Amino acid sequence: MPVFICTIFLFSAKIKAQATYDSLKIKMPKHYFNTVISLDGYRKPKQEFTDTADFLAKRLKSYGLNQFSLSFYTPIITDVEEDTVKHITKSTHVLLTGTYIRLKPVFDSLKPHDLVKTGIGLRFIFNSGKKGVWFFDVSPFVTKDRTYTSKPYFRMASTIVYSHNVSERFNWRIGATKSFMWGNRFYWPFIGLRFGRLDKVNLSVQFPRSISLNIPANEKLILSFYTKPQGGMYNYSNHDSLYYLKNDATFSYTRYELNSGLRTDVKFGNNVSCYFATGISSKNNITFYSETANKGKRGVYKKYFFEQNLGPTLFFNVGMVIKFGKTRTFLNDRNMYDVMDLNNTNGVGDNNGSMGNPQIPVAPKKIKNVNLNSIQDLIDYNDF
Amino acid sequence: MKHLFKILIFNCLIVYSGYSVAQGDKDKVEAIRYNFINEKLKLTTNESEKFWPVYNEYNDKVKALRKNLRQSLKKASEDPSETEAEELYQLDIKTKQAEAELYKEYRGKIKIIIGAKKTMKLRSAEEEFKRKVMEAIKDKDD
Repeated sequence: MPVFICTIFLFSAKIKAQATYDSLKIKMPKHYFNTVISLDGYRKPKQEFTDTADFLAKRLKSYGLNQFSLSFYTPIITDVEEDTVKHITKSTHVLLTGTYIRLKPVFDSLKPHDLVKTGIGLRFIFNSGKKGVWFFDVSPFVTKDRTYTSKPYFRMASTIVYSHNVSERFNWRIGATKSFMWGNRFYWPFIGLRFGRLDKVNLSVQFPRSISLNIPANEKLILSFYTKPQGGMYNYSNHDSLYYLKNDATFSYTRYELNSGLRTDVKFGNNVSCYFATGISSKNNITFYSETANKGKRGVYKKYFFEQNLGPTLFFNVGMVIKFGKTRTFLNDRNMYDVMDLNNTNGVGDNNGSMGNPQIPVAPKKIKNVNLNSIQDLIDYNDF
Repeated sequence: MKHLFKILIFNCLIVYSGYSVAQGDKDKVEAIRYNFINEKLKLTTNESEKFWPVYNEYNDKVKALRKNLRQSLKKASEDPSETEAEELYQLDIKTKQAEAELYKEYRGKIKIIIGAKKTMKLRSAEEEFKRKVMEAIKDKDD
């Protein structure tokens, strides 16, 4: 009963206290998330197939990759709730995500196929205002071979993660994910650990997505040493009669590689950043699965008619991340930093591409070259 | 046509990144201010998780109020009529009143979360930071 009376009292006090503010009808940003668009180019040079015993390897001769992706996320619902009894601020975020990938596997003896993956998904993130953050993602997508007539395949990736901020320097995550990034349909646990603050040097281990050591050199430059898988499951037209046992018009082409290297993120102001990554791509796996032979299987595809593991090679990755719109401030809010990191660790559309953490600000050490016009909302004329 | 489209997109990005640099100055100063306050207050984990969302909300509201007033003053003609001037005057008074109300309300909330002693430390840290900004502006002008 006393709690009830206190709540009513506080609520009425809030209405009264903000009367003038409310009467001014000030427009405030609704969301904590910007709309973010990312453009990404990825390339792996050609490698010769060394397996001379395999008929298809001999026919295909060599294998390389060119990939372009465009992905975005945009906030559609943000709900902030203040618990006036426990003095915590809970927030719920619903984001719309989208992805468009054009992948060109290049085989020496074939005309390159243009494989396209298009997806629209939804993300739900709940910040409890205390130590925990919940993350749910569903990313349905369609893959299609654009070069020749092929049957489009519908697939769905999804992830659920609970993230716990023990302190600003240590965080653990647990969850489950259904993903195609390891070149097949896998249901895996999600286990994450982070040591160090998100806006300072930190080591982040997020199985099965990535391991990274992130070093913000200054507010404009972030370096990351990382290892992460990259891959997917696409449909591939059998126009070149690569699959000759059954009369399938389309089969599944899958790939994954484990990329280890250095990524450099450069921020141009507050809304635009670019990155460049390069390193060694190892465990280069490529597999062709027959859809008919694997029909009815709900788990991993097991019957393949071609599989090769190629040796290490170089990879190159460049990209640009553009933020739009104004957001609410969440500076030093550890839980909101974690909300942002969860969203960025789990790349849009099961691509395992990373936009970095463009929303988490890295504060410069000194105030220099302050332009008075740029900070006029932060100070009052009485301050002079 | 394709090339023209690419050039157009590229130009848009250059313009947008220029705008973004100007926006970035404010965010930089704000990030330094928050870190400065964080260092001065020495909040516990429990205090920190409750304090920053409230403090952020307060600052967002104050910034929005000031921006609203500044834009209205900018829009007003150099020689406003008596009615226009009266409207601006009312807006100015209301803005100051709203700022004071917000200050009272949010400082109350902050006091419950971090206690009176740290709330007053927050006040001193804010003042100290303002002085630092003034010095930085002065240094630039010199």
